[in-house]
Amino acid sequence: MIFGNRKTLISAAAVATAIAAWTIVGSLGLTTSLFLPPPQEILTTTRELLRDGYRQVPLWGHILVSLARALVAFAAAALTGVPIGLLMGMFPAFHAVLDPFVQFLRPLPKLALIPLVIVWFGIGELSKFLLIYLATFLTVVVSAAAAVLSVKEGRIRAALALGVSPYKLFRYVIFPSVMPDLFTGVRVAIGIGWTTLIAAEMIAANSGLGWMVINASSYLRTDIVMLGILLLGATGYALDLLLVTVQRLAVPWMGKD
Amino acid sequence: MANLGPPPKIELRHVSKSFQDLKRGRETVAVEKFSLAVQDGEFLCLLGPSGCGKSTILNLVAGFEHPTKGEVLLDGEPILRPGPDRGVVFQEPMLFPWLTVLDNITFGPRMNGGRPEAYLSAAARYITLMGLSGFERHRPYELSGGMKQRVAIARAWITDPKVLLLDEPFGALDAQTRLMMQELLVRVWEQARTTVVFVTHDVEEAIFLADRVCLMTARPGQLKEDLRIPFDRPRNYEDLVPDKRYVELKRQVFHSIREETIKFMSQDAGAGPA
Repeated sequence: MIFGNRKTLISAAAVATAIAAWTIVGSLGLTTSLFLPPPQEILTTTRELLRDGYRQVPLWGHILVSLARALVAFAAAALTGVPIGLLMGMFPAFHAVLDPFVQFLRPLPKLALIPLVIVWFGIGELSKFLLIYLATFLTVVVSAAAAVLSVKEGRIRAALALGVSPYKLFRYVIFPSVMPDLFTGVRVAIGIGWTTLIAAEMIAANSGLGWMVINASSYLRTDIVMLGILLLGATGYALDLLLVTVQRLAVPWMGKD
Repeated sequence: MANLGPPPKIELRHVSKSFQDLKRGRETVAVEKFSLAVQDGEFLCLLGPSGCGKSTILNLVAGFEHPTKGEVLLDGEPILRPGPDRGVVFQEPMLFPWLTVLDNITFGPRMNGGRPEAYLSAAARYITLMGLSGFERHRPYELSGGMKQRVAIARAWITDPKVLLLDEPFGALDAQTRLMMQELLVRVWEQARTTVVFVTHDVEEAIFLADRVCLMTARPGQLKEDLRIPFDRPRNYEDLVPDKRYVELKRQVFHSIREETIKFMSQDAGAGPA
């Protein structure tokens, strides 16, 4: 615990040093605002955007729009990806059918899919949703399938020797066994899904953090770009912290078995 | 074999078991023409060098694996699959980490529609016998290695199996804990009198625990010696160690098992680098 506190302290000091260095570079006039606006300028910009919004949408509106797009896609990806991944892990034939598609699509840069998604699904919210969903879903599927295959043979044998039926074996032994890995998989997937947000908001959006960054860059507003980047990073970090907390409460035995 | 009494509790008739060795691309014969009959209420130790196929025998009786040739019978009926009439304890405790000690112990009856009044009182009995009182609400990861294994034994025993199969259950424990666990196991067994097949490579453990020690040859595993252990129960190491018969028996078994180990090691070397 003492070491845990010390680690937090070291991390905080590192962040403070980075911000201080950034401030000094800015106040010495070593760079231009276009190249690297100093933190003070970004604070001013934040105040302006909080007051006036950006392009007729308040700042919190951009955050909420992006969060809503991402969370709907994450929820759908977890709800569909977990069962499909578990089925792939349980049934080798099902795995053999889906695996080539999953393995082909998963490493594909999702930006490359934008033209196709627009042709097939238009430029509305559905296309944005699909890009984030696809990135998240594929990662969830792969990790859920791998989780089933990594359940210890001995644990399954112990349960079989106690007379469990195949259904109960899945419900009461395999499912709880894969829970820790499922959480980790969903966490990794959400990290990947969040990075797809920019790609999704490149499609004819007029709000959202990703769109704000792209739009501000075409007006050379580096301060707004950087504010957008900071908000994207902070929101992603907050999402991950939330998941880690839920994971700790839901699977307290994780890593101890 | 023209016995008029009831069939033996467990019977293996000319059992062979071979596996596909994927690494070497050929068949490995783990057990060949192995025959053994275990009588009701008997405590039998299968003793042999590592890789002699003693765990394979146990897995066949448990129903996890099926013989390539021959028959494996329980009460004269062929064994087709694992079931609660054969309790199994592994070298690793294999507990369910999301369940408490009590829920781990009662897992079998709960999965098979047992009545709570019945399995809770049975669990209370095994918790006392196994020295787990006060730990009912603990999780497996809060227990020591020896305690985890006691939970595993209670979990296997509570279904009141016809036979209890133990596969080197104390192999991962330290020497002192192992002695305590051996004494505890025998104490509970003397009350329950379940038929036990206990796999081990530890000569002293086998002689201390068993009514009968079956010594296996190196792979392919065959029965080499079938020894009746003459010591009265309850036994304890302090009385056994100075006993001349114990010393002689131990010497004989050590000698025999050493021959097999040498054979096994030269076999392994002959097969070339893996």
